[in-house]
Amino acid sequence: MEEKRITKENLIKLGSNWVNDGMNVYVNNGKKYTLMKLHEEDLKGFEEAPPLMSYKEIVFPKTEPILYYKKSQKEVEIIEPKIGGVKNIVIGAKPCDAKSISIMSKVFNWDYKDSFFNVRAEESVIIGMACKYNDEHCFCTSVGISPVSTDGSDLFLIPLANDNFGVRIISDKGKELISKYESYFTNGDSEESENVLSSIPIPEKKFNAENVKSWLDKNFESEFWNTTAEMCLGCSQCAFVCPVCHCFDIVDEDYSFTEGRRMKNWDACQNGLFTKHASGHNPRDKQPKRYRQRVSHKFKYYKDKFDEYLCTGCGRCSRGCPAGIDIGEIVERIDKLTN
Amino acid sequence: MTELKNLVKSLLEEGKVTKVIGYRMYGENNTKPYIAVTPNDAEEMVLNTDCRNNLSVYLTKKEIINGGKTGIVAKGCDIRNIIALIQENRIKEEDILIISAECKGVGAEKGSAVYANKCVNCSVKTPHLYHELVEMKGSELSQPKDKYTEAKEKVLAMNSGERFEYFSNMFSECIKCYACRQACPMCYCEQCIADMSIPRWIESSATDRGNLSWNMIRAFHLSGRCTGCNECERACPAEIPLSFINKLMYDTAKEEFNYESGMNKETPTLIGSYNTKDNDNFIQ
Amino acid sequence: MENIYKPYLMEIAEIIPETKDTATFKLKFKDPEIASVFNFKAGQFAEYSVFGEGECTFCIASSPTRMEYIECSFKEAGKVTAALNRMNVGETIGFRGPYGNYFPVEEMKGSNVVFISGGIGLAPVRCVIDNVLDLRDEFKDITIIYGARSVQDLVYKNLLDEWQKRSDVKTIVTVDPGGETPDWKGEIGFVPTVVEKASLKAENTFAIICGPPIMIKYTMPVLLKLGFEESKIITTLENRMKCGFGKCGRCNIGNVYVCKDGPVFTYEQMKALPEEY
Ligand SMILES: Cc1cc2nc3c(=O)[nH]c(=O)nc-3n(C[C@H](O)[C@H](O)[C@H](O)COP(=O)(O)OP(=O)(O)OC[C@H]3O[C@@H](n4cnc5c(N)ncnc54)[C@H](O)[C@@H]3O)c2cc1C
Ligand code: SF4
Ligand code: SF4
Ligand code: SF4
Ligand code: SF4
Ligand code: SF4
Ligand code: FES
Repeated sequence: MEEKRITKENLIKLGSNWVNDGMNVYVNNGKKYTLMKLHEEDLKGFEEAPPLMSYKEIVFPKTEPILYYKKSQKEVEIIEPKIGGVKNIVIGAKPCDAKSISIMSKVFNWDYKDSFFNVRAEESVIIGMACKYNDEHCFCTSVGISPVSTDGSDLFLIPLANDNFGVRIISDKGKELISKYESYFTNGDSEESENVLSSIPIPEKKFNAENVKSWLDKNFESEFWNTTAEMCLGCSQCAFVCPVCHCFDIVDEDYSFTEGRRMKNWDACQNGLFTKHASGHNPRDKQPKRYRQRVSHKFKYYKDKFDEYLCTGCGRCSRGCPAGIDIGEIVERIDKLTN
Repeated sequence: MTELKNLVKSLLEEGKVTKVIGYRMYGENNTKPYIAVTPNDAEEMVLNTDCRNNLSVYLTKKEIINGGKTGIVAKGCDIRNIIALIQENRIKEEDILIISAECKGVGAEKGSAVYANKCVNCSVKTPHLYHELVEMKGSELSQPKDKYTEAKEKVLAMNSGERFEYFSNMFSECIKCYACRQACPMCYCEQCIADMSIPRWIESSATDRGNLSWNMIRAFHLSGRCTGCNECERACPAEIPLSFINKLMYDTAKEEFNYESGMNKETPTLIGSYNTKDNDNFIQ
Repeated sequence: MENIYKPYLMEIAEIIPETKDTATFKLKFKDPEIASVFNFKAGQFAEYSVFGEGECTFCIASSPTRMEYIECSFKEAGKVTAALNRMNVGETIGFRGPYGNYFPVEEMKGSNVVFISGGIGLAPVRCVIDNVLDLRDEFKDITIIYGARSVQDLVYKNLLDEWQKRSDVKTIVTVDPGGETPDWKGEIGFVPTVVEKASLKAENTFAIICGPPIMIKYTMPVLLKLGFEESKIITTLENRMKCGFGKCGRCNIGNVYVCKDGPVFTYEQMKALPEEY
């Protein structure tokens, strides 16, 4: 694998250049993937928890028009939204976030292909970074990711001594992104990077995801669900911050009597109205059923359908849950039930 | 004073309550809500300076409150919400049993050495409605910096255009998850105005316009009702300082009508005591 | 960029009021080119939209053997259906589809077919009835059993008359006890009871059943008792949908997307699903 080296100062400059080139550059500043303005943001996050919100917005915005319309008494004209045309760069993506686009890509591309997602995914370049953080909510290794995995990254940063970074070139997209700016880089030292990588403790697996899945295969009806998330408030925080939750609603919004737009908005299965029929019947009428959907979608249904777990183990849903519900802990308990 | 665990255990054993909503440890410097149903469940129950949650939100959930008297562990501030719920006829006092303590204040967040903002100037550290008293554990915390007063002065000095801009910016990061609503003990409507589609009062998209109308309307619906428990802000994944606008409304209710919600179960609610002679010159 | 969310525009060519709260729309594609290539199979559904109000899901009620119009029948239930009810002939609505799977009309050829439906549930069944009747020679005995709460709640009254006049179809129309009018000539009784008394042959017979969940719940055991094969009892499910094509995550029952793998399911398939509908 080709490797280069860059100083942090140059990396930030490089980011500013990309901003100048008209790209949207997001930097992990340790708390947030924040949209970089020229020279304004610092790159942190190596030892920090995954930011509160993932950056899935760059491919799947919280709200976006899927069409505009003009209408008169009898006629309607549809105007297509323009999307894309702007590259999105993420600098310092956590390995547990880097994989999100390729995971979501499966649902947005089986059979019908969602261009809104695809155009943006195609135009996104993910610069991942090794991760030295690990807390009680993290469990990336249990779902096949690790703090040093480059899966999903186009370039991969390895923090070295003296504010230097090893830069591994993972994909052609990554290579192309830096081709114009070779001068910011020096030759990389793969050995030094390897030493850093091997000094990063790889957290032990908390559960065996296959066991969890085989338990879920047989336990749609189980007392377990009634006693697992009884404190869940149905607040949807978990789904909105999750790098791979992808549910949405479609609604119309008039801005006047003659014009408006149709929007695609984030939505989540923890919301009580999510599955409610117009007749009032609701197949998931209680919170335990909704929580069962959450866990089952992540550790069974998505795996059945798309051969991926719908979870990267980032732990942010648990860190942010106002009711202290920890999905890793719950899945761990399921694993224990199988022994 | 009885030990919390023993108290909960005997309440459950004697059948005085069918369940107790309380806290248990969650890692080292954190707690989380749970429900003790059997006397054995009481073993895990704690009350300390890491008990940040306001458990009264669970009293608004039918699945939880139905089926016999409910015990609840509540700090003074949480009791205010319980009282507010009683004032609004949402719950009946005889259906609940409040277990409280002289409050030491709770940490701002996990492992924090300072109080949560809501504890600053708290007037109910000594609980004002309870049925059983226990002791609160945990170390002394220090006072956080007051950011509110300065921000309030700044906003009050703004003209209406500037204020509009200020709040639009504040709410622009909202992602319309409604976690604020779900975590709020006072947001208990069977059908929230945000979910009404005929007509649609609030645009459901998380655009600047939809966000401003949602957050403003929520603040209005909570004015004179919000007790300042800060659960909305704690739940908000977008880190929007929701308590700011709520506190502005709170102060207005206090200054204009000498009303603070959740202080006395006998007083009518602020909205319920509307009078045509009420002052309205603060509305601009 | 191909926009999978973009609907075709359709003109409302005719509105047929069915009952107090249901109506049938006959729709024509605005773009003749689309009209000439558009195709679907009986049992598929679409997303219909009123611009400014939103989208909602209905089956295509007309038969693919009659492509002059696309028809849908709907019951006023909320925002979009109310808006549709306010619309007039000549106005424009959006239409995305067809989506989902369909009834196995090919497989049914050479067999007897029993259609059982209740209320607005006749809409998804009607497309198959028309389809089968248009290919009458290829099927054996055909029985239609339809029930509604009251005489006023019967939909497709003209079609019911038409079917009742045909000698090659046995048509039984029933209303719930108390729902009859003095001059009502049909049956009085609930659908499951009527099915039980209808002396149906189960052998080599497909049963297609759609209607309110309660009707389905009580009719299924009757069909099984009569000896119908589980793989030949076919119904459609109506989970809440938004996208219609396996993206929005709303309609799933376990690992099945009702919008993609359904909405048509055999009883055999349904039994294997978790109870989430
Ligand atoms: C496969 C299938 C086939 C069907 N076939 C038929 C049929 O042939 N005939 C029939 O009558 N019915 C049929 N139905 C049922 C039908 O889809 C519903 O009755 C219909 O969608 C009700 O729509 P509504 O807009 O009137 O109801 P509502 O529930 O009021 O509205 C839903 C719409 O309002 C908006 N909305 C509602 N709540 C919110 C919210 N909280 N936030 C934002 N927006 C919101 C959305 O934009 C949504 O499109 C079928 C359903 C399925 C799944
Ligand atoms: S964040 Fe927690 S309380 Fe909120 S919906 Fe998710 S699990 Fe429930
Ligand atoms: S479910 Fe939770 S831990 Fe898993 S990817 Fe989503 S936010 Fe991260
Ligand atoms: S867990 Fe829930 S919100 Fe997340 S993708 Fe699955 S169904 Fe959607
Ligand atoms: S609005 Fe916020 S601070 Fe006020 S009562 Fe509700 S959750 Fe507590
Ligand atoms: S919790 Fe925060 S992001 Fe979610 S709806 Fe409320 S204000 Fe918006
Ligand atoms: S309707 Fe959207 S996934 Fe089925």
